[in-house]
Amino acid sequence: MSLAERMLSIDRRIIFLMIGLCTLIPLLYPVGLAIKVSPEVKSVYDYIESLPAGSVFLLSLDFDPASKPELYPQAVALMRHAFKKNLRVIGMTLWLPGTGMANEVVSRIAREEGKVAGKDYVFLGWSPGGGSVIINMGQDLYKAFPTDYNNQPTRDLAVLNGVQSLRDVNYVVSLAAGTTGIETWYVFGKDKYKFELGGGCTGVIAPGLYPLLRSGQINGLIGGLRGAAEYEVLIGKKGKAVAGMDAQSATHFAIILLVILCNVFYFSIRTSGKTAGQH
Amino acid sequence: MPFEVIFGAWVATGLTLFILTFLYEDNPLFKIAEHLYVGVSVGYAIVKTYDTVVIRLIYEPMVKQGDWSLLVPLVIGSLMLARYVPKAAWMSRIAFAFVVGVGSGLAIPRVISSYILKQIEDTVRPLVSLATDGSTTFTYSLLDPASNLNAIVLLIGVVSVLFYFFFSVEHTGPGKVVARTGILFLMIAFGAAFGYTVMARMSLLIGRLSDLIDYSHPEYGRATWWLLAVTIATLIAFRARRRGTEPPQ
Repeated sequence: MSLAERMLSIDRRIIFLMIGLCTLIPLLYPVGLAIKVSPEVKSVYDYIESLPAGSVFLLSLDFDPASKPELYPQAVALMRHAFKKNLRVIGMTLWLPGTGMANEVVSRIAREEGKVAGKDYVFLGWSPGGGSVIINMGQDLYKAFPTDYNNQPTRDLAVLNGVQSLRDVNYVVSLAAGTTGIETWYVFGKDKYKFELGGGCTGVIAPGLYPLLRSGQINGLIGGLRGAAEYEVLIGKKGKAVAGMDAQSATHFAIILLVILCNVFYFSIRTSGKTAGQH
Repeated sequence: MPFEVIFGAWVATGLTLFILTFLYEDNPLFKIAEHLYVGVSVGYAIVKTYDTVVIRLIYEPMVKQGDWSLLVPLVIGSLMLARYVPKAAWMSRIAFAFVVGVGSGLAIPRVISSYILKQIEDTVRPLVSLATDGSTTFTYSLLDPASNLNAIVLLIGVVSVLFYFFFSVEHTGPGKVVARTGILFLMIAFGAAFGYTVMARMSLLIGRLSDLIDYSHPEYGRATWWLLAVTIATLIAFRARRRGTEPPQ
């Protein structure tokens, strides 16, 4: 058996180990590679930056714990930015399994930034229906969410003063791991109630959302852990996403190297096979 | 540090390591974690749905605020349960008809507007731009999505991919060239999607390993190290036991 044949039939657990080490070593010993901010992430940042204090910012955390590594850092960075700008923050989720985690991130960041529940922010929780919830919120926010996550009547909350429906919200960002998510917010929300919409998403669904970005249906897109790292750089508060970028680059480099090596071995076997056939 | 945080860290660490053992081979530790994941997810969904839908959205508004109009959706929703009674199963069709009718009515116009009309509007772009003095200009930048060159690339891509999926005409001669161009565009799209998927999966691994590193610190009782040792020892024990029960070759 030639070297190429041996390499192509290598135990896949060796490859798993290699990828694991490529991830682990940069996490333990970070290099601090430069992070360039993309225009789509900058658009979200710029829009929040342009909002005057007291504007209403709705963050819909439409993901479950399975997508936490990618979308949780995005949520943290966006919440910190919104609180730094003294925006009134409304948190909610359209994904039932993510309710507890969404409440935890909203209340934790608010606490760290010295914000008060009911006055500076509210977490509405989850309500069934997906698109129907958005339509309902567009007609009357208090009918869609009569109480917040902590069972406080939403009509009594100071943070919602002057907010009757989605038309009174200045900016909505949906952090989505699939459907229900950004598209749902566009189809049933922005298209009808005319608020500005931005998005954050997992890497898997990002390519499918670029057409919405290009056509202006969303004004910005934070894609995956990379997007979260770019946002952390923009707000000047480096967190878990920036810490993971060295590991991301190392694993990508390893995968590219493996793809090239596999092709080289494959073509060398094919070439040697042809040569043997000629003889 | 509060006990519940430390306990949570130990549970998260243990389950992460159990799931990762699948990369070595299928084993009972992986099965335990897998079944726990399914069970906890379903249990959580049931409790949250009951609390939000039954208590907060139905019981409290009706009983505490006297909003009895909610009886209408409640009755329609309850008809779904009629499927479990064979003689009354037909009644569930009323509920399903309601759901399908309302869902289609809400979704069809909005989806056509958002996905088809808006996207066509964005796809049909001028191939040359008009300057303020009335002359025409052409921008060549491939990096600018709004450049005229990219408008031509977009046009070729859309037409060739649509032609590739047009099976009523045999793809021969010039048609073959157009269809092949369509395949090229599709391959680039699939490549981009795959690249993003790899990035996403690596991000998940980074997330789990970051947590494992955090939980290896003394304030968490070095959960990662202890549970890693337990996991490896258990795997060795399972392997030894399996060897003992395997019939001789």
